[in-house]
Amino acid sequence: MKFSSSWLAEHIDGLNLAPAELGSLITIKTAECEGVEPHGAHFDHVVIARVLTSEPIPGTHLAVASVDTGRYGIKQVVCGAPNCRANLLTAYVPPGQLGVTNAKLRGVDSAGMLASSKELGISAEDEGIIEFAAGNPGDAIPGCSSDTIIEIDNKSLTHRPDLWGHHGMAREVSAITGRPLRPVAAELPSGPAPIAVTIADAKLCPRFSALRFENVTVQPSPLWLQQRLESVGLNPINNIVDVTNFVMADLAQPMHAYDAAKLNGGITVRPATDGESCPALNGTTYSLDPTVLVIADESGPVGIAGIIGGGPSAISASTTTILLEAANFHAASIRKTSTKLKLRTDASMRFEKSQDPANTVRALARAVALLEEVSPGIRLVGGVADVYYSLPPLAPIEFTLAWMQRKLGKADLTAAEVTAILTSLAFGVTEAAGQFTVTVPSWRATKDVSIKDDLVEEVGRMIGYGNLTPLPPLVPNTVPPLPPERAYLRGLRQLLTAQGYTEVYNYSFVNEAQAVELGLPIPDHVRVVNPIAQGQELLRTSLLPHIKRNINDNAREFESFRLFEIGKEIHDRGRELPEEIPHLAAVSFAKHGDGTASLFELKRLAGTIAVGCTLEPATAHAYEHPFRSAIVILRNEPIGRLFEFHPSAVETGRAAVLYLDLVKLQALRPETGKYRPLRRFPTSAFDLTVVAEPRELAGRVLHLIEPLAGPQALKVQYLYDYTSEKGRSMTYRITVGAADRTLTSDEVTATRAAIIAGLEATGLTVQS
Amino acid sequence: MIETLLSDLAAATQARIAAVTTADELETIRVEVLGRKGKLAEVSKDMGKLSPEQRGVVGKLLNAAKQSLEETLTTRQNAFAAAALAARLEREWLDLTVPAPGPGLGSLHPLTQIQAEIEDLFVSLGFTVLDGPEVETEFNNFDALNIPPDHPARDMQDTFWLSNGHLLRTHTSPVQVRGMKKLGPPLRMIAPGRVFRNEEVDASHEHTFYQLEGMMVDKDVSVAHLIYFMKTLLSAIFKRDVTVRLRPGYFPFVEPGFELDIQCLICNGTGCPVCKHSGWVELLPCGLVHPNVLRLGGIDPEEYSGFAFGLGLTRLVMMRYAIDDIRQLQGGDLRFLTQF
Ligand SMILES: [Zn+2]
Repeated sequence: MKFSSSWLAEHIDGLNLAPAELGSLITIKTAECEGVEPHGAHFDHVVIARVLTSEPIPGTHLAVASVDTGRYGIKQVVCGAPNCRANLLTAYVPPGQLGVTNAKLRGVDSAGMLASSKELGISAEDEGIIEFAAGNPGDAIPGCSSDTIIEIDNKSLTHRPDLWGHHGMAREVSAITGRPLRPVAAELPSGPAPIAVTIADAKLCPRFSALRFENVTVQPSPLWLQQRLESVGLNPINNIVDVTNFVMADLAQPMHAYDAAKLNGGITVRPATDGESCPALNGTTYSLDPTVLVIADESGPVGIAGIIGGGPSAISASTTTILLEAANFHAASIRKTSTKLKLRTDASMRFEKSQDPANTVRALARAVALLEEVSPGIRLVGGVADVYYSLPPLAPIEFTLAWMQRKLGKADLTAAEVTAILTSLAFGVTEAAGQFTVTVPSWRATKDVSIKDDLVEEVGRMIGYGNLTPLPPLVPNTVPPLPPERAYLRGLRQLLTAQGYTEVYNYSFVNEAQAVELGLPIPDHVRVVNPIAQGQELLRTSLLPHIKRNINDNAREFESFRLFEIGKEIHDRGRELPEEIPHLAAVSFAKHGDGTASLFELKRLAGTIAVGCTLEPATAHAYEHPFRSAIVILRNEPIGRLFEFHPSAVETGRAAVLYLDLVKLQALRPETGKYRPLRRFPTSAFDLTVVAEPRELAGRVLHLIEPLAGPQALKVQYLYDYTSEKGRSMTYRITVGAADRTLTSDEVTATRAAIIAGLEATGLTVQS
Repeated sequence: MIETLLSDLAAATQARIAAVTTADELETIRVEVLGRKGKLAEVSKDMGKLSPEQRGVVGKLLNAAKQSLEETLTTRQNAFAAAALAARLEREWLDLTVPAPGPGLGSLHPLTQIQAEIEDLFVSLGFTVLDGPEVETEFNNFDALNIPPDHPARDMQDTFWLSNGHLLRTHTSPVQVRGMKKLGPPLRMIAPGRVFRNEEVDASHEHTFYQLEGMMVDKDVSVAHLIYFMKTLLSAIFKRDVTVRLRPGYFPFVEPGFELDIQCLICNGTGCPVCKHSGWVELLPCGLVHPNVLRLGGIDPEEYSGFAFGLGLTRLVMMRYAIDDIRQLQGGDLRFLTQF
């Protein structure tokens, strides 16, 4: 929202602050100032000039003019405007302003420029150089002056309907600076309502006020009005529309002017019916439905309430009677319609903030005076049509001084200070013995201020938060333990980096193609309904799609690398919140080699993270190497997988992946057991070599030996193997012992014999 | 004469020992002369033929010769051993400047690092660390935070809506609601985590970023407490004394609400491009918890009050490491990630 500092100054008696300082004060006390920019500085230098002579330059559309500029003397200027002619009063821009320099055009010297309204930044008019009916060479451009624009962040005005106009902001400035706010004229005509108004739903339209004028002249606004609108980013259109926009930019009340001759009968504010449409001012025809509120006459909609006026009843050069509307609409309804029609206007932006219903008549009163100035001879017809439904007034807010002191943490805050601040912001204050009763002005009561806590902000910001002394809270000093899950994840991350793995963060989104590539069923995913970019359609049910991308991306830069991610799989649970399950994906990649080193490195990592885990061959997924895929088992529970990516999934090299469910893993962590006394008697060990099929699993044989070895077996250890096409011989070392004695050689031999017999019974051969 | 024989043998052996060049040659001489079947042993065998007087004399001579030869031998043996050890050590020259084989140290993501640092800081101040889900209910993300449907504040946060009727949390503030219900008053909690905004990604905008929510509820918590706390906290984070200021900011779940600025750490408030010449850098939103939010969290606002704040971890990381492209943080590029 742009605020003109000279416009603000018009509302305040004796305001004497540099705009930059004003911007800072507003930032600290009210809303965030995003910038302070000079505007129209050239009006300090541009002057009215009289064209003395104007001679065409042969072969061009240009003319060379001699102009009397008063202040700068007689100047020769080359001008391309068709209306450049002798005796014309126009605007002269001296070199150094608006980028104008002393130049030579078609060999003719030109010292400055004659300018159009557009070039001067007054309006969009650029049909020719500006023409003045009166004035003397050397005069400043009437109604136009240099200004400074203070830009306030719209977001910080979300809760302040009153600050969407200059008058509201001036009230803040008045409270901040202590300079008095000038009253705004609010004289309304009396007389019969000039038009019948019906409101179908008072919730959607709490108030509709209107005036009717005749003998209207539609013409360009005076320059001061055009420049003022232009300076705050509004386009001058014509005197009537400009007045409505000026009042909106001043009082925050959007208005609309209809060509009364184009209206048919009385006005009804009602929901649109299905199939109705409204051709709007902007040239678009909107299809409506009953969620859209319209202003209608007896023939149909003549405007979309609070958003845009209708095209056919718009003010035109032939307009002679007008109906001027100032109404109030329900914020949420306007917001919904505006979103639905994808149409945000200066009006809808304001109505969305819950405007003050009492403001409609203030706006009309202000407009009357302005219309009389810009459309000489204009006459009111009757009085105000004003239909509204009185809402119960907001109950006064009560609080005590002590409460306010405690909330702010300022024990020396006085009742007088509180009263002065609230009064300066137009609150009604009565106070006795520290007990406050506060009434809220109508423009703050629509949503912004309703409870005592809202007043803490009013008092706090005007005192200035910098004037509060920081106070250490008086609370017991206990240090809570870090929750075990967090401590666990932190330890895990440390372990992984110590082992050489670097942490990556990936998005929670995947696209359909990524899910399909990894065989993740699309319907299992929670879907984003309104993605604005590609790749955001689904929430990930696996970390692997992005891990795969990480592998291929980094393989372009590195011969080998290790990385990991700890992130959440998100699984749809219908109407319930989805299940978010933290997982670990660790990758060891090498461009060269046969891949076994990476797989065994990750197996070792698995053993470090999930102590005591074992691997069982898995049925490989399509993206896994069909012969290099295993399920990680911990205490008989599958907790994840170890695999090498299928060569078709990686662009180059080999990538081994360890993928673990961290919820299962944490649940299965061993509890601290009791200490076992150290063995006092010597143990014996013997080796056995088992001969089997070439693809017999070492782990399976190990699991066969363990129970065969009996209770005296302390350890069964795989040592090495020799594998050929014919078969596989695997050597194991079995250590046996007893707690209370040394085993005899007969006992050891018997154990050995039992193992051999047991293995041979399963069809394996044991080498002696 | 046995004496002559002995002295000749001793002299000849001494000469041979002096002449050896290897430890093996020395060993050969030792076996030949001093061994069990060596020349000295042979001489002592012949001593049986001598008279007891002569035996005594020759015995002494024999021992003297043996001792002298052994000494010489040992000396030379030691010399050879010392030379051999020196030669071995010399051969074992090792270049310790070559890189160690095996993986180097990995690195933690900068967000993990800063989050851990801030968590530790808060834990030392008595705060509990809580987690919340990435997918939240509309109620927790908006309604419970005093943002009813159609509230314009919903426009401030472009939301990813989901097929299951829920949404991706737009801030960590829903954990306030969860925390109040879980802990009850008085409470001190923080909740770091991933949040989402539905916007286009460029060098300074991300749809996925990290926040840290903080909340303290107790009797008579005031704005002055909030200022003290934020100043202490930010000084610890930035490892220097920071100047903070509060100015009005609008967030429906706090009242009053503030934007907290810190005095620019680059120019110390004199103005520079980083702070857009204002001397201040907007850092975090905060405020006193709105009574409606306390009430929905099951806490009586007449009895308790509290403050809450939201720290942008992503922003903090970018400030600390002067990262100029936010996309790097979730790009998975090890050239970037291994720098931390
Ligand atoms: Zn700076």
